[in-house]
Amino acid sequence: MTMEQHERYAENVAAYLLGALTEEEAAEFEAHLAECELCRLDYQRLRVAAEALPRAVEPLEAPDSLRDSLMDTVRAEARPGSVAERRPSFLQRLRDRLGEVSPAVAAVSAAAVLAIGVLGGWGVSELANNGTGEKTYAASTTLPRGSATLTVPEDRSGASLTVRGMPPPGAGRVYEVWLRRGSTYAPAGSLFDVGRNGTGSAAIPGNLRGVDGVAVTRERRGGTLKPTEKPVMTVNLS
Amino acid sequence: MPRTKELQRLADEELMQLVQDGDPRAFELLYDRHGDAAFSLAYRMVGDRVAAEDITQEAFLSIWRSRERYQRERGSVRTWVLGIVHHRGIDALRRNLVHQRRRASAEGIEERHEAPERTDAEALRRAEAKTVHAALETLPDDQSQVIELAYFGGFTHIQIAEMLAMPVGTVKGRMRLGLEKMRRELAGGVA
Repeated sequence: MTMEQHERYAENVAAYLLGALTEEEAAEFEAHLAECELCRLDYQRLRVAAEALPRAVEPLEAPDSLRDSLMDTVRAEARPGSVAERRPSFLQRLRDRLGEVSPAVAAVSAAAVLAIGVLGGWGVSELANNGTGEKTYAASTTLPRGSATLTVPEDRSGASLTVRGMPPPGAGRVYEVWLRRGSTYAPAGSLFDVGRNGTGSAAIPGNLRGVDGVAVTRERRGGTLKPTEKPVMTVNLS
Repeated sequence: MPRTKELQRLADEELMQLVQDGDPRAFELLYDRHGDAAFSLAYRMVGDRVAAEDITQEAFLSIWRSRERYQRERGSVRTWVLGIVHHRGIDALRRNLVHQRRRASAEGIEERHEAPERTDAEALRRAEAKTVHAALETLPDDQSQVIELAYFGGFTHIQIAEMLAMPVGTVKGRMRLGLEKMRRELAGGVA
């Protein structure tokens, strides 16, 4: 790396720590941070100040209803075998099994056990994973106001998809995530819905090595084994 | 499985190990320790209780669902949690859902419920808040302004440059100088 390249990014350290870069700039800066020792040192030095900022906020008490609602969801998801139980190895095995049974049985099984991401989501590690080689990709979409980012760790051991500005998938339907290899689509093991504000997210478990792209379609609740419509959103990984 | 009293004695980082194993009681305790701070930060950013509740709920749900991703060596649980809340807050602000409503002024736009000082840990945090406040107050206005607009306002450096009618480089420079000075103040004046 040349000093000129370093200087181009060095002035972004403080802006990055304050969250003042755009998503694209932040992703570019994170890629630089992974390679640049000087910027990493600068980042480590200044982060002490940035991380102190929330401690200056006037302390307020969160409403009890928030705690109750949050814990209702968490307890439901923590139940063994619940729909939201989604350890990657488990889902990977499930997906392998789904390939061996008939589509009808598989769809019912999928409805029972596949991961469902809802409002709020999963992929929030960007702030915590600076400089780890994670890559963030922007999605192409056919939806007028929709946008999405896909975050993939360096070893491609899964990914997280965060969507914004998405319309509800419709009654009895969900968004389903697909992994594309060449022109073949396989279920990623992730279904998701979006909240009132159009945001949502999905964890994509399993290894993404050899995957050329990720796509999203609207499918019937419970998901399907093959896409039944053209993707509303695609991310090219190759 | 540890009893609740045993859980309460655990440090955040130890509690997080149980959360990573999928223990909802450990997660509940984690929320009890950091939920108020998370809500306070969200409220400070968006200036609206309902929006702040949404952000806090989204942040904690994402923490629960991405619990495998916490790495102890990267910093404290509290910093990690507040980082995620901040990220969600910025996301909400940039979607422009709450910009027009943000900035709860010192007079108090809405009804507030101040957190009672219940434990030694909270008393310590209030003392810590005073230290950070003091460090912020040492900054020249032009530096604290850009930090405020970026960190709590969710504005990008480009938007701030437009608002203040100054070059982007100047905005970034002020951000850097401000954080540098704060860092020195927090370190007790040590460079």
